Amino acid sequence: MPSVTKGAPLDRIMRPVHRWVWGDVDRRLRKLLTFADVETDGGRDILRAAEVTPDPLLRRLYLEHAIDELRHGELFRERGAALVRARRTWRKVLFAGNPLPGGHGLDDLSIEGQPDYRLLAFLHVAEKAAAGRFTIYRELVDDDPETRAIFEQILRDEVFHMNYTYTQLTRVSPQGYRRHVWHARAKRLWNRYLRIAAAMAGLFGGVALTAMYFVLLPPFVWFARRAERREPTGWTSISRNGNQSPRSQY
Amino acid sequence: MKILGISAHYHDSAAALVVDGVPVAAVQEERLSRRKNDATFPISAIEWCLDRAGVDPSDLDAVVFYERSMLKFDRILTCALRAFPHSWRSFPNAIKNSLGEKVWVRGIITSHLGAPRRKIFFTDHHASHAAAALFSAPTRRAAILTADGVGEWATLTVGRGERRPDGAAEMTLQREIRFPHSLGMLYSTFTAYLGFAINEDEYKVMGLAAYGRPTMIEQVRTLIRSTPDGAFVLAPEYFEFQTTASRSYSSKFVDLFGPPRNPYDDIDLDSPEGRRFADCAASVQRVLEDVLVDIARQLRRETSLPDLCFGGGVALNGLANARILAESGFERVFVPPAPGDAGCALGAALYADRIYFGNPDRDVPDHPFWGPSVDAQELARASREDSHPVEELDDVPLMEAVADELAAGRIVGWMEGACEFGPRALGHRSILAAPHSREIRDRINRDIKRREEFRPFAPVVPAEAADRFFDLPPGGHRLGRFMSGVFPVRPEWRGRLAGVTHVDGSARVQVLERDMAPRLHALLEAYGRRTGIPVLLNTSFNVAGEPIVTRALEGYSTFRRCGIDLLVAGPTVVMKRGASPDRSLKEGVAWSSEGVARSGAV
Repeated sequence: MPSVTKGAPLDRIMRPVHRWVWGDVDRRLRKLLTFADVETDGGRDILRAAEVTPDPLLRRLYLEHAIDELRHGELFRERGAALVRARRTWRKVLFAGNPLPGGHGLDDLSIEGQPDYRLLAFLHVAEKAAAGRFTIYRELVDDDPETRAIFEQILRDEVFHMNYTYTQLTRVSPQGYRRHVWHARAKRLWNRYLRIAAAMAGLFGGVALTAMYFVLLPPFVWFARRAERREPTGWTSISRNGNQSPRSQY
Repeated sequence: MKILGISAHYHDSAAALVVDGVPVAAVQEERLSRRKNDATFPISAIEWCLDRAGVDPSDLDAVVFYERSMLKFDRILTCALRAFPHSWRSFPNAIKNSLGEKVWVRGIITSHLGAPRRKIFFTDHHASHAAAALFSAPTRRAAILTADGVGEWATLTVGRGERRPDGAAEMTLQREIRFPHSLGMLYSTFTAYLGFAINEDEYKVMGLAAYGRPTMIEQVRTLIRSTPDGAFVLAPEYFEFQTTASRSYSSKFVDLFGPPRNPYDDIDLDSPEGRRFADCAASVQRVLEDVLVDIARQLRRETSLPDLCFGGGVALNGLANARILAESGFERVFVPPAPGDAGCALGAALYADRIYFGNPDRDVPDHPFWGPSVDAQELARASREDSHPVEELDDVPLMEAVADELAAGRIVGWMEGACEFGPRALGHRSILAAPHSREIRDRINRDIKRREEFRPFAPVVPAEAADRFFDLPPGGHRLGRFMSGVFPVRPEWRGRLAGVTHVDGSARVQVLERDMAPRLHALLEAYGRRTGIPVLLNTSFNVAGEPIVTRALEGYSTFRRCGIDLLVAGPTVVMKRGASPDRSLKEGVAWSSEGVARSGAV
């Protein structure tokens, strides 16, 4: 592999943590399935870029890139699934979700209306970081030749992605390409900060709400249960037709 | 009046614009954002609808949200209280989720559109479903049935509606079944149990059901029992969706039905385990149908009306719809093309127009094509830039050429006009193929859709030929208009329609009237002249995990990366090249600069 894929200093420092993650099969398969989603989402974003770019060459390259990413997603998913099949105890945790839906993440990549140089710089930085990290992961799964083979295959693609994004960036923005790359790095750092901040806020919010749940809710539980007991089963007639204010959210 | 309807925050969000009582635009956010089941506030859809009609936000007379968000929050909070202390894990997430955005709908609408508060209205969730079904149907008086997972509190409602010749409209929902007793939730719970994605893969359960026998009806009946007044209740001890966000069924449910399916395992229908899952699907499907038929029959007796308008996500269940038509006594069943939550955007706007403002009722054009149009020139330009062979043909030679390709076993991506509003591809964004063999079905499953083998494909047939191939009951044509019913393929044709005949001999047929999609109708006729069978396999133009394509370039990028042989958009026809020069592009353009990365220059 090219030297550029040796891993960022931070990732090298974090190597013991990575080793801990990849050393356990449950954590490993969880990571693989997460990668599957990330690669697939990324592939769809790049596909979108192929659909909106006015540049014919970039359209073709983005499309190739998107196909690669979607294939990586599939490779990770298949490997994760193979590990899940071997670990029956995972069933309960992995699915059986609730049909009441949830929300969306913070990390959606905005494609529409973005100039190509911005996306190319972003992709270049992201691919380079991913290639470095995957190099480390590849070394950590020596005991698992199938997973290692996937990382090797993906690493070859990542080098192509790094290269074409950089070459095309110099083509579409010959004067400002270095600035765009630095800007993308700063943006990446900022996004990382936002992610951590959001996670911390979520954690604090969760703790506060859990505390409220146990402290504030109990007095109302009795009323709620009493009301439930009084609810008739079967049909309930709808009496509010025409009586409810059309401007009311209640 | 110009009324904007909005649905958001739970399933696929959408916007619809009604001007002077008639829809002029409606689209799901996912079709524009390209994120499947996008539930975010549908700002792109709103912008597109307003642009389409040339309406400025300040020109809007009303903006109508499809449900009462605070009432929904009330339900979430109440359920958390009732389940105390078991709801402690789900409570923080539910509150964060609701307080983060969902309860501030009025403010969100104001901030995005600048609409003053007096112009912002709300309807009941199930009233939106009912209005979408009633006011878009070509009927004057009808009974109404809506059923889904849950709205605010209601999960199923019945009522009646009337559109009088003098323009007055009335819609009354008389009674409801309330959360947690829900047919939609029952079905979704089995969807999760069978290892599929909830709120998305319910139709896989329906497809799987055909492979099984309903041997577990007694067990399913343990979960849902009838009440003396003809409604039903769920036995709460078998479910957890009302108490936790991580699991929809309880350990008791697992004790009753056995271990759930690992979603990463293929379903092997030859194994005892695979057959158990198919039997499970068949059993819940049968119970769902039985319950719906009973309720519809009761409604028919009460109203004595010949027509039923059926809305809500459960109305996507074509098997149940066909049984309602056959057994409830209703002569016609109207299911709108978008019966789910997306369709509520249109329903809310129509409800406000007819009921809140008392505007005269007007007939709504009886088609689903309310979305963005395809730009054939855009496709031609991109294809030429990529050196793909492009032809631009008049209608007659185009139909003949495409029919030839279909008869030769090619798979065609077909785009024309405005895209469909709703989950079904009804001839404007479709993948078409010959319906005769299982091989082509398997090829589409393998190379294009990448989906499970047990899932069937639907046929499309001209209305005038439908009865020859399919055993349609009276009213079947109507239910087949938007692919809302599953009917038997006539036994003598099953061999020659093997690609679209499900294992139980049925098909979710689209019965196509010429005036709804004239070009597809002409193509079916041209194909019929070649093969003697004017039927085509019609599946949505997308690959797994992606929304149906909207614009020409989305169709083009899908065409480029899967096994579609031919792409048609309006008069433009693009053929796939034999060899793929993109490999050389990849190797030439990008690899030549490998040194850049190696050097670490950036």
